[in-house]
Amino acid sequence: MNPLKPGRRTRLSTLRRAGTCALAALGLFAAAPAAHAVPSFARQTGADCASCHVGAFGPQLTPYGIKFKLGGYTETDGKEGKVPLSAMIVGSYTQTKKNQAERPAENASVNKNLALDEVSLFLAGRLTEKIGAFIQATYDGVGRSSALDQVDIRAAHTLEIAGKETIVGLSLNNNPGVQDPFSTMPVWGFPYTSSALGFGLGGAGTMINGGLEQRVAGLSAYTFWNNLLYAELGTYRSLSPSMQSKLGAGRADDPGRLGGGTNYWRLAVFQDLKKQAFNVGMFGFNTTVQPDRNAPGSNKFNDLGVDASYQFLGTRKHVGTVNTSFIRERQTLNQLFDAGESANLKGRLNEFKLNASYHYDQTWGATIGRFLTTGTSDAIVYDGFAKGSPNSSGYIVQGDFTPWGKDASWGTPWANLRLGAQYTMYTKYNGAKTDYDGNGRNAKDNNTLFLFAWTSF
Amino acid sequence: MKGATMKPGIRLKPALLFALLAVSLSFQARAAGNVEAGKDVFATECAECHSVREGKNKKGPSMFAVVGRKAASIADATYSDPLKASGITWTPDRLDAYITAPKKLVPGGKMKYDGLASATERADLLAYLATLH
Ligand code: HEC
Repeated sequence: MNPLKPGRRTRLSTLRRAGTCALAALGLFAAAPAAHAVPSFARQTGADCASCHVGAFGPQLTPYGIKFKLGGYTETDGKEGKVPLSAMIVGSYTQTKKNQAERPAENASVNKNLALDEVSLFLAGRLTEKIGAFIQATYDGVGRSSALDQVDIRAAHTLEIAGKETIVGLSLNNNPGVQDPFSTMPVWGFPYTSSALGFGLGGAGTMINGGLEQRVAGLSAYTFWNNLLYAELGTYRSLSPSMQSKLGAGRADDPGRLGGGTNYWRLAVFQDLKKQAFNVGMFGFNTTVQPDRNAPGSNKFNDLGVDASYQFLGTRKHVGTVNTSFIRERQTLNQLFDAGESANLKGRLNEFKLNASYHYDQTWGATIGRFLTTGTSDAIVYDGFAKGSPNSSGYIVQGDFTPWGKDASWGTPWANLRLGAQYTMYTKYNGAKTDYDGNGRNAKDNNTLFLFAWTSF
Repeated sequence: MKGATMKPGIRLKPALLFALLAVSLSFQARAAGNVEAGKDVFATECAECHSVREGKNKKGPSMFAVVGRKAASIADATYSDPLKASGITWTPDRLDAYITAPKKLVPGGKMKYDGLASATERADLLAYLATLH
């Protein structure tokens, strides 16, 4: 379970109280990506954080970081005896333009919240010559619980195909997209961290946007040919409720059983020109979810995405990036419709993201992002949204400071720190710009200032 | 070179000085430009795998004092067998050949770098590498 999931608890509990589990059943919660930066990788490789991460702090990967991940986290500086353990702490302050209608979490107040967002332990690094892992266990200081967080265990082998270097690998993971090396999918896209006590990117999210995270197990096979073509195909199974409970995610929010045909695929073209790099790609996630494991009936989700990113790297003094993605989800809600928990049998949900960043000297960073969620209205599924519309949109600006993480920095490779200020402006929230909740609350009342200190060692 | 020559010397001084200054400035400018440009080339092309700090190995060995060094001679770096067996000494000439096409100079080596095509960039880079001791 990912504590950095804005407003999840709030919406879930409000919706539960409002008497519908439809959203929960759909997994239609927008998720924010988790925060990741692990110095154990730096200790293992001898590389500084800045080699793999734009702005010297995770998670946005440079071409070198992309190759490290696809190489199965196994690359080293050749020295033995590295311990693949890291830790991370995120603390924050959240202030919304107007007080929230309800406390966003049990231990929080309606505004101006200081929080210990997350304390994580990572097993991250090389386990054998060809096997590496990225396993995160997180204590969520907002929800006050611990759980297994992101998991990506990889095996990778390098060979030659058509005279070109080719990586073939496997990933065993617990969240569709967590294994992806590009910074465009929901799991790893901007914003890289956001308030657990704010409003996220709105109340609705696609399946691949965290709808199943940490509640499934997937295996995929991938290949990366000639540092140019990337292809991946995989499948997912749901974890049993008791397993979810054992791993700390709890059984209450079990999304249900995934159908046997669940598949995940990814194609991308990548070019590392050293001074700059880009990738363009497509991805898909197709599944059926049977919400009640003891009763037949399931809902179908077909997510299709296109994405692209560009990085200007130069001498690494001035680094600029642009990332974009568009996800289109088609929903066929047989079970919900039959149960009277959705007004439409078919629905759509689209998510668009575009963001651009600039980093100076791998230390000072500025990012601006646009997000736009649109979809078919459904008065039952999106109960509590204005006119049953899932639409939300807005802008995010962030400034950050990362003093360390460079080759000769203090603390390298033992510690790194990012201090950031993020402001999210909503132009539309849960269906409307004004009075979206029927109580006179406007989208912009949710505007959120999020100050964070994110450290890892 | 005293007495008689002093006077013309003194008379010539401003012009001479100016000429010397101009020559040395242009020389310095070029040399400094090369090294500076080479530092940038290194940052772009090599730094993710190589550090210039003494004793600091990344995926590839430290580039500290690499010019004139015997190949595969850093004790705690890991090298491929072909590089170890190559018998190369990293003269500017050999370095240039290696950076142009690593796989050609050391077939089977493990430096995963495609090569730097630009001769100017290589010259700048070599000028920079030469300053690392
Ligand atoms: C992708 C990583 C990578 C990049 C980029 C890279 N190198 Fe290397 N380099 C290595 C590795 C690995 C070795 C060890 C090669 C072997 O053992 O066959 C190496 C070896 C060397 C050596 C031999 C050192 C010795 O001790 O014998 C030199 C010189 C060198 N690199 C220079 C450069 C320069 C200059 C650049 C930039 C133009 C560069 N490398 C770019 C990984 C890299």
